[in-house]
Amino acid sequence: MSWDVIARQDWDLTVGERSTKALLGLLGFVIVVTAYVYPIGGSEPYTTGRFAGVVHGSLTTLVPIVGVLLGYNAVVSERESGALRLSLSLPHSRADIVFGKFLGRAGVVTAALVAALAVAGFLVVYPFGELEPLRYLAFVVFTVWFGGIWTGIGIAASIAASTKRRALVLALSVFFLFVMVWDALDDGLTLALDFAGLIDGELPGPLQFYFGLEPGRVFGRLTDGFVDPSATVEGAWYLSEWVALPLFVLWLVGPLGLAYRRFARRDLA
Amino acid sequence: MTAIEATEVSKRYGTVVALDRVDLTVPEGEIFGFLGPNGAGKSTFINVLLDFATPSDGSVEIFGHDCHAEGVAARERIGVLPEGYSVFERRTGRQHIEYAIESKDADDDPAEILDRVGLDPTDAEREASDYSKGMAQRLVLGMALVGEPDLLLLDEPTTGLDPNGAAEMRDIIREENERGATVFFSSHILEQVEAVCDRVGILQDGELVAVDTIEGLRESLGGGTKLVITVDDLRNGTVETVRGVQGVETAVEREDSTLEVTCTNDAKMDILVELHDAGVDVVNFRTEEASLEDMFIEYTGSGR
Repeated sequence: MSWDVIARQDWDLTVGERSTKALLGLLGFVIVVTAYVYPIGGSEPYTTGRFAGVVHGSLTTLVPIVGVLLGYNAVVSERESGALRLSLSLPHSRADIVFGKFLGRAGVVTAALVAALAVAGFLVVYPFGELEPLRYLAFVVFTVWFGGIWTGIGIAASIAASTKRRALVLALSVFFLFVMVWDALDDGLTLALDFAGLIDGELPGPLQFYFGLEPGRVFGRLTDGFVDPSATVEGAWYLSEWVALPLFVLWLVGPLGLAYRRFARRDLA
Repeated sequence: MTAIEATEVSKRYGTVVALDRVDLTVPEGEIFGFLGPNGAGKSTFINVLLDFATPSDGSVEIFGHDCHAEGVAARERIGVLPEGYSVFERRTGRQHIEYAIESKDADDDPAEILDRVGLDPTDAEREASDYSKGMAQRLVLGMALVGEPDLLLLDEPTTGLDPNGAAEMRDIIREENERGATVFFSSHILEQVEAVCDRVGILQDGELVAVDTIEGLRESLGGGTKLVITVDDLRNGTVETVRGVQGVETAVEREDSTLEVTCTNDAKMDILVELHDAGVDVVNFRTEEASLEDMFIEYTGSGR
């Protein structure tokens, strides 16, 4: 059990990096600015719950790119340079390394998200907004979890690939698939099936479930169902926010777990 | 208790055999030198010890812990100077030592360790990625010394060190051994091994061809002779022919159609006869007394 040593060292290294500051600065800036303009552009009542429904749109794009960019080099850069050999010569297991790196990086993302959302919450509430503490707390937890999922996907790429370049390509591919083209795939299929006269404007439930597996959409259902009082989650039971909870858990452990199994058995020489 | 116990360890990469059924036992308290030319499989063996690579067959144990199945336990009592490492980016020398102390749950004083390996306080506060190869080598040796390990595993420890540094390295190896630590170190340079080792193992093409004390190696060579034969035309198969003669230990091809053969005294004539029968004309030959250095070169150079 020595992942804490790895996590601490990785936290120090990650925080000190300029690219980290830039990425997290951008993320925080967008969250805070959204909170600042929300009462100006939005309609009454101004509540943190409804703010969540607004900011969640940019979070589903920004958090993934920040997560994969922070995660993708976590292990593979040390593996390429040879610094990993120093860590693995000490009494650390490969699981310690992966878990420690994950905690270190996800911790940095968490700290930035919590700080930005705290400031944002304050800007929404002051002067005429309303704080819904439990709902907002749930939103912070979901957002942090979402950050963990994407940092985890980045680190999964980092331990699955053997060079930094491949890790980056792998991580960005996942990002592009889920964040950039997923909606287009969904729309395209809907349009095609609609055109063929097989469906009437809406995909059948199982297909909706399939497209709804994407982490950003899971995050969206959780926000709509548990946080934003002005939104509702529609559809079959398996499209509900309650089913989204275990899916969210799966997204955190799945990619890392699969990549770790490969990493654990592999020769690192 | 044995420090290192290797049983029939093989490692294959595709069709390439990097280690071929290596059996090796290193008892506690010994300084063991692991000799062989570059590419003989020394690093592969150490990679297996550190679980960087999983053996294709066989197993290795450190203090009774299987290096693959119980890797962490196996590495708990050892200090390692691996090969092909690099230091951490943006961390000072001192932070490296502190990382090792935390990782091993030890209570050493970083300053003391740094002083012992010859890094002064100014160096210690610099980022280790700016270090020269020799300084990095000292630093990682320092990390290896943390926590008074029972076994020191040093892969080509004198790489990048000047003669002075190499001598200091040997002093540290002796000190650690006197403290009670077992030392296992690899090298492709005989004189470094000769100077400190109780026993040496010689690895060639993945096979452990000899394990003995330095004296033992000398003795086994005592009756031996080195025969330098110049022939008119060195053909394919000639070396193999010579190797097939009873009493021949090694046969190596040298430049200018020259063969160097180590063998027992009685075998000399047989070799010449065998060459004659094979249709090879012997232009010249002389005998020399083989030294340990010769023997090492013979052992390890015959792959060329």
